[in-house]
Parts: sequence; structure tokens; C-alpha cells
Amino acid sequence: MSDAWLWLAAAAAPPAAVIGASLFPVDVERMRRFAVMSAAAMLLVTLVIAGTPHLHRISWTTSALSWAGSEAVIRVDTLSAVFLPFAAGLWLLTVAVTPRASLDRGGVLRTALATLITLASFLTESAVVLLVLSVASVWTFMAALQDSAHRYQRRIAGIYLGVSTLMFAIGVVLMAGPGAHRTGTAGMWCIVIAALIRKGIVPFHAWVPEVFDHGRLGPAILFSAPQLGAYMTVVLIVPRASPDALRLIAILALGTAVYGAALALVQTSARRACGYLFMSQSALVMAGLDCTSEGALAGGLLVWLSAGLAFAGLARCVLVLEARRGRLDLRTFHGGYERMPLLAITFLGMGLACTGFPGTLGFVGQELLVDGAVEEFPVMGFAIVAASALTGLAVVRMYFSLFCGRPSPPTAASLRLGLTPREAWTFVALVIALVGFGVAPRPLVDSRFVAASEILQVRQLSIGR
Amino acid sequence: MPGVPLTVLVLVGAGSPAMLLLVLGTASLLNRPLPERWTASLAGAAMLISFAALSLALVVHGAAATDTQLLSYGAWSTSHERGIAIEFLVDRLSLAFAALSAAIAGVVSAFSNRYLHREPGYNRYFVLLAMFVTGILFVALAGNIQVLFVGWEFVGLSSALLVAFFQERPAPVANAFRVLSVYRISDAAMLSAAVLLRNVAGSDSLSLLFGRAATSPASVLSGTDATIIAVLLIVAVAGKSALLPFSGWLPRAMEGPTPSSAVYYGSLSIHAGCFLLLRSAPLLEQSPAARVLAGALGAATALFAGLTTRVQSDVKSSLAYASLTQVGIIVVEIALGWYAIAFIHLAGHACFRLLQFLSAPNVLHDLHGIEDAIGDRPSSRGGILDRMVSERVRRRLFLFALERGFLDSVLDRLVVEPFTRTARRLTRLDAWLCEAVLPKRRPIVVEAVDDRDE
Repeated sequence: MSDAWLWLAAAAAPPAAVIGASLFPVDVERMRRFAVMSAAAMLLVTLVIAGTPHLHRISWTTSALSWAGSEAVIRVDTLSAVFLPFAAGLWLLTVAVTPRASLDRGGVLRTALATLITLASFLTESAVVLLVLSVASVWTFMAALQDSAHRYQRRIAGIYLGVSTLMFAIGVVLMAGPGAHRTGTAGMWCIVIAALIRKGIVPFHAWVPEVFDHGRLGPAILFSAPQLGAYMTVVLIVPRASPDALRLIAILALGTAVYGAALALVQTSARRACGYLFMSQSALVMAGLDCTSEGALAGGLLVWLSAGLAFAGLARCVLVLEARRGRLDLRTFHGGYERMPLLAITFLGMGLACTGFPGTLGFVGQELLVDGAVEEFPVMGFAIVAASALTGLAVVRMYFSLFCGRPSPPTAASLRLGLTPREAWTFVALVIALVGFGVAPRPLVDSRFVAASEILQVRQLSIGR
Repeated sequence: MPGVPLTVLVLVGAGSPAMLLLVLGTASLLNRPLPERWTASLAGAAMLISFAALSLALVVHGAAATDTQLLSYGAWSTSHERGIAIEFLVDRLSLAFAALSAAIAGVVSAFSNRYLHREPGYNRYFVLLAMFVTGILFVALAGNIQVLFVGWEFVGLSSALLVAFFQERPAPVANAFRVLSVYRISDAAMLSAAVLLRNVAGSDSLSLLFGRAATSPASVLSGTDATIIAVLLIVAVAGKSALLPFSGWLPRAMEGPTPSSAVYYGSLSIHAGCFLLLRSAPLLEQSPAARVLAGALGAATALFAGLTTRVQSDVKSSLAYASLTQVGIIVVEIALGWYAIAFIHLAGHACFRLLQFLSAPNVLHDLHGIEDAIGDRPSSRGGILDRMVSERVRRRLFLFALERGFLDSVLDRLVVEPFTRTARRLTRLDAWLCEAVLPKRRPIVVEAVDDRDE
């Protein structure tokens, strides 16, 4: 076994260990501490993998799936290497800041399982394996909505994501099965629809705000933030789709970016605003991935990372606040900056990273994205400018409503409403990462340009064939 | 100073407030704000270094008797050709405005240290002030559109957050959101102009707008392109400098502490738009339509603000509108091509108004003393307008000025309300879509809500 395989095994071991440990009757708080340490270990290992070029040479195929194409079942390359710490970071964020009352043993198990599925998804380029993992991730998400209070949201998500998975399955069969040369295009369109539904692109989006608002926000963040729909797009759609198909997807995505940002600005519920913000951010990524210029593609890949982390952090802040104040209405000012200045500052920092504010990782990504999009769509490309302006307003409105506008009410001394050290350090670390890569973005941006170039090369080869 | 290269001086000048921002921002992020004494010393030192370096750079540049110089500090974001480079475009105008900004920021920093002593938001104020000074220096010295945009965004965000400085009250927060809304329109216009410029010209360099390249026969911008970019820039400038029809945010911005009102709406931020317009003079010269638009906006703003300032009941709003009157006149001067006069007017007005804002509390105090002494208000004899205009017209003008030109209500009716209404309808449509896919059934037994969220 080579070094690279050992490192990969070391990356997968922590979530697997947490899954194993959750089968034993261990105290939940201990379980969570173990999950936090495992996630931190996974983050370190995956950072080493991402930062060591000679570990990016894994590619494994199996004859068992040769009927479905020659794509690698497991591979680590420039594109996927950066997504491994991304998945680990999202897991660490989840287990470190989820309120104590909200995370039971089943929750710890589900988060570890979801992380393992995300990790495996980022490691494969086989359509069949991706389909299996997609089914598994949808199942994990649905399992989190099992309680009777969220029955309606489970059904809505079930219908939309069920259709998405079904379309994905049909697409894979049409693309990989016998007669693929005749049915390949239809298969590709099925996968496009599957990806659009999963990413909440208009007009396939109605499930997103509903699940964020009335479903369970935590599982919704963990399911949405990695953006497996974007990964499906990069691996399966971009190499095969015709320029017209990509243009259509990009135009839908640009429209969704504005739509989501505009609607986030007028929401009365903080959760629903998060849902629309996710739609907008996710659509920006999709728009970048479907532009065929290297710059826009690299921008899309960067925004994927920055928006994923920043959005997940922002929505987790909302959850942390909800644990202390109950459901959050954006029509009133809640105040509380003095009591939780760190949460307020990190909330604003993550929100600004979502908008591509200078000094955060989002800035370089959005810059490249706007530039590439305008080059390809001289009019619609400016939708990114509008989306960015509206997102900025929506985020600051949320900040003002959640942390400003009235003095913190005096509370009984026994009530501890500030952040716990674990929450505080996790949010601070996330903002430092977003600002750190924003101030010194060069290694990451260079790697995204290499990945974009490789994706376009694969596309050239694929279209040439 | 032949031994000191210009590149180093400009980097130190623009970089020292950025370093201050980094230090104070990191301390705040780690929830370990520095003691007041340290914050004040660091801020004072950063502003002093910045002012000294930029003044020296002005002398060095003047001595070299060169025209515009592009100082490049290399690629920052990536080694790829599409990357962002840190570049400053220096000439006498940019260096003079940058040095003036650093000097004004130093004065305000020293004043604020006493004014905000023991204020709960002391540290937050200085973080935002450092962000503002970094931003305004980047705007002054920007050599490419990305650096300009960074500065523009820093100025906008710090301004809105300082309006909401007294954030435990709802009014400043609501007003800050209003200010930010206008700034975002301005930012979007600026970004659109920047992207369009790059798309048309294939370059990020601002020498295409600000340098001689813009007016040379070999200019890459056609007349139409130049007009579109210039109009977008004018919209950006109108938003930032509160020109009509965006003037409604200016009195709202007075909710912030007096030193921030002085530096933003008395001296620097409100002139940032004028400065940008002044820098874009070569572009304006290519587009007569844009010049006419700028001139008309400036003249209308000057008239409107001159009228409105006469009826304000609080000193800060009155001074803000008085500033706006001068800003309007400066824009007219730029549109007429009187660049030297415009810059002298800008610099003089920025210093004068800063002094007025900072001394306003003392003047009020003195005035109260005079009123107490004479037992009445000092009488006002009325101006020329009072003698020339009939009572009826004066009443109408008074109402118009008192309502600040009804600008807010017009914008609310034409922009905010239709936008909000449409977005709310779309939200309801989304909910209806879910209902259409799967109708909701009322539960017969209400069960305990499980609010766990992992």
C-alpha cells in the first residue's frame, strides 16, 4: 500500500471510528467530544493530503464497473484534494457548535455518516458510485427528519429529492447502458435536472426554503453545504454537455442567484432567509461551473469552498442563537451584541465572506466569476453583481436584526447565554480561515486554476470523441 | 530624497492603516480588545507614518518631475494571468489627496481618543476607522479596478457600521441599513463599470480611465463604451457622495458619533466620489453626455442642499447639507473642466468642514451660554432669498426643504415598496408551490415538536 492510500485511509478512519463508537452505549457528551477530536484529526490529515502534491496520484478503477465507463472509482487529484479538508471542516463545525440539547447519539452517528458519504463522493468520478452515494446521502438526510413534527417537510424533501435521485438513476442508465451513443444526450439531461433539483435552482427550488424554515436546520446545512449537486455537475455534466446546454444551466443559475438573494432580503424568518441565501450561493457556484472559460470555472470552484464554509458557519450561528432565544424573527431587533460580541463579529465575518467582501476568500472567487460570466453572458453576467449587492444587504439586515437595535436585557446571573469556549474557538477558527485565505489566496487560487484547466481538458477530449 | 524609492514610500503610506486594521481586527476577533491607551497610540502612529510617507512620496514624485507612474507590487491572488495585482497609480493629484486623507484621519483619530473615552464601542470605532482610512487611501491611489473596488467597499461598510455605532438604539441601526442600501447600489454600479471596462479594454489598469491613455487617439474605448462606463461611474459617485436622487441617506447618517460624521460626511467619504470623478476626467472628456449629466446632477444637488440646509433643526444635519452644497458645486466644476479649481475647492472644503463638525459641540455650548446671557435667541435678519421671494413661494420652498425634497418617500414608493411587494409575492408563490406538490394536512393530534438540530 502506497503512502497516498495510507493517508486516505487515515482520512476516512475518524468518521468510521465515530460511527463504530456510536453503536456502543456511551454518554452523549463524551461521544460528542470524541466526534470533535475525530473531526479535528480528519481535518489535519486531509489538510496534509491537500497540501502534498505527491499524494494526489491515486486512481483506482475496477472491472466490476467497467460497463459503466472507465472513470476512476476512487481518485485524488487537484480538484478533489481541496474538497477533503472542506468536508472535514464542515463536520468539525457541525459537531463543535451544535447545541447540547440538539445532538443525541443518533445525531452524532448521522453527522459522521454524512461526512463519510461526502468524503467518498468527492473521491469518485464514477457515475454509478456517485449515484449510490447520492442515494445514501439523501437517505441520511431523510432519517434526520423522521420525527412526526417534520413529517410534511420530510415528504416534500422526499418528493423533490426522490425525483432528483430517480432522474440521476435514469441518466446513469441512459449514459452508461447499452445504446449509450443514442441515449447519452437524454441521459445527460436527466442528470442535469437531478443536479438542478438537488441544488435548488429555480424552478426546482421550492423544497429548499420549506425545509430550512420548518424542517431541521442542522441536517439541512450538513446536507446542502458540501453541494454534491455541484460535484455532479463538474464530474458528469461539464465534460459531456453541449455549449448550449451549459449556457441554459448557467442562465437558470444566474437567475436563481438574484432570486434567492432578493427573497432573502425580505424574509421574516431567519431560517427561511438562510434557505434563500443558500439557494443564491449555490446558484453562483453552478453559474461558474457552467461557464466554459477557465477563469469563471476557477471562480466557481473557489466560491464553492468559500460560500460553503461561510454559509454553513452563518447558518450555524443562527442555530446557536436559536438555542438561546428560540425562533428568530427578522422583523424586530433582538440586540445582544454586548453579551455575545464574538458571535456577532464572526456572524458578520462569515456573512461578508458569502458576499465576496474584500479580504475574505469569497472576494477573489466572485471577482473571477463576475469577469468570466460577463465575458460569456454580456447582459446576464451582471446578475452576479446584483446578487452580490442583494446578498450583502440581506446579510447585514440579519446582523442588525439579530445583534443590534436594543440593549441586552438583564438576565439572572445563573443563566449563561454567552458562547461556550468550544463554540467560540470554532467560529473564530472558521473566520480566520476565511480571512486568511482571503488575504493570502495564492496557493488555493492557483490550485483551482489547475483544476479548472484539467476539467476543461477532459471536456475537450470528451467532446472530441 | 533620491535614496528612498517611491514604491516603498507609497507602500508604507497605504500599508500602515491596513496593518492597524489587521492588529485591531485580530484583537477584536479573538475577543481580546487592546486597552484604550494602546489603541490610541497605535492609531496615532499608523496615521502619522502614513501621512509622513505619503507627504514624502509627494515631494519625491514632484522632484522627479514625472507624470503618472504605475507602481506594481506583483500578482497577489494567483500567478495566473487573470489574477489580481496590487498596483498604485500615482501622480500629484492622487498623492496629494492621499496625504490629505492621512492627515485628516490623524486629526480625527486624536480627537476621537478623547471624545470616545470609556465608550463601550471604543475599540470597534477604531477598527472601523482603520478600515475607512485603508479604504480611502486605496481609492486615492488605486492603479487597477480591483484595488479601487476594495477601497470603495471598505469605505462603504465602515461608514454604515459607524452610523450604527450606538447599536443599542433602533433608529441608528435602521438608518445604517438605509445608508448601506444606497451604498450597495453605488457598489454595484462601480463593479459593473469595472467589469465593463475590463471586458471592453481587456485590461484592469485604471490608466485607461485616469491616465493619458484614455484621451489618446489610440484609446481602446469607443465613444459609446466611454459613455456607458462614465454614466455607471457617475451613479457610483452619486451614491457615495449623496448626489440627487440619493441625497436622502445623508441626514440619516448623522446618527454616528461626531468624529465619524466629521471624517465621513464632512471631509473625506463624501468627497471620495468627487475625487473619483476628478480622476476620471480623461474619460469624462471623451463623453460629453456624461459631462452634462454630471454637471446637471451637481447643480441640482447644490440647489437642493443649499435650500435644505437652511431649515435643519440640528447642527449636524445642517452641516451635512452645507457640505452637500459644496460637493454639488465641486461636481459642477469638474463637469466644466475646471479641474485645478475643483481639487483646491475639495481640499479646502474637506479641512474647513472637518473643523466645523469637530467644533460644533463647543459652538452649541457657547451659543447656549449666549442665549442664557441675553435671555433670548440671537435674532436673525433673514437673507436675500427672504426679501426677493414672495411669502407663498417661501412657504412652499420651506415645506419642500423641511421634507428634504420628499426624496425618501419618492424612493420608497418607486423602488422599495414595489421590490418588497414583488419579493413577498414570490415567497408566497414558493409556499404555494410546496402546497401544490403536497397539500398540507392538519394533524388530528398535536404532538410535541422536536426541535433538535444536529
